[in-house]
Amino acid sequence: MSPLSPYLNLDPKYLVQDTDEFILPTGANKTRGRFELAFFTIGGCCMTGAAFGALNGLRLGLKETQNMAWSKPRNVQILNMVTRQGALWANTLGSLALLYSAFGVIIEKTRGAEDDLNTIAAGTLTGMLYKSTGGVRGIARGGIAGLTLTGLYALYNNWEHMKGSLARQSL
Amino acid sequence: MEEYAREPCPWRIVDDCGGAFTMGAIGGGIFQAIKGFRNSPVGVNHRLRGSLTAVKTRAPQLGGSFAVWGGLFSMIDCSMVRMRGKEDPWNSITSGALTGAILAARNGPVAMVGSAAMGGILLALIEGAGILLTRFASTQFTNGPQLSEDPSQLQPPPFSDYRQYQ
Repeated sequence: MSPLSPYLNLDPKYLVQDTDEFILPTGANKTRGRFELAFFTIGGCCMTGAAFGALNGLRLGLKETQNMAWSKPRNVQILNMVTRQGALWANTLGSLALLYSAFGVIIEKTRGAEDDLNTIAAGTLTGMLYKSTGGVRGIARGGIAGLTLTGLYALYNNWEHMKGSLARQSL
Repeated sequence: MEEYAREPCPWRIVDDCGGAFTMGAIGGGIFQAIKGFRNSPVGVNHRLRGSLTAVKTRAPQLGGSFAVWGGLFSMIDCSMVRMRGKEDPWNSITSGALTGAILAARNGPVAMVGSAAMGGILLALIEGAGILLTRFASTQFTNGPQLSEDPSQLQPPPFSDYRQYQ
């Protein structure tokens, strides 16, 4: 295993310490925090929403105009539907992601820790605030939706870890 | 912003899109909150409700328009980086102008030219401010002239013409 001669009076373990270490600037975190990822999250949600909304608009437009002959008014109507739905979904998902990121950053900074609890709390608060104009029932519904989604995400994120610990317990 | 560096190219589009959405939504939210407050009927309750409605309807829309601008700008920027093989302020200025032109394409050629000029000038101002800021920051941390005993040993620094952009 060791390329060094055994006559050298040293343990080669000390020579190769850890190959997976990166040199970081002083004061830098090892992983990116929520603030550095916030813009990426928002942009990703916005673009996903635009793509999904465009597809949805195409579907709706085709369904609504299926009795019409293939003509210019029909094309225009479908195109209008696509752009309107695309903008609607992009705006909705983008503002949801904006709220989520803002809550995530605030929670992370106030707690001073970063784990999946932050994700779940930020998601729940986002749902509650987004539905906050719909009364108590709306707030509860939005909070539960956010809690479910982010809880599922946290489960998915920790799946390997949890499976490992379960297997260890059963052994 | 602490040590905020730009992403590498394909991901920069998503990042810029998100940044622009944030800017538009928050700025538009503040603006619309004030506008809705002023335009509502008398009474604090009415005014607050009008403000809330205005923010809810208009802020995401403004964020969306900003996001389109940022995303298109970044796409053109990345294409130019790929085509020219370098990153410099001219990329940003050109893509700002092109973005303005493309987004005004449905309003006719005159509007396109005006919008392109606006975009180009805006981005030139931003890039110029960035360069000035970098220059200013770099003058704060010079090591001072290296004093040598023998004047014949003095040589010009090898990277004297190096200018740091961004």
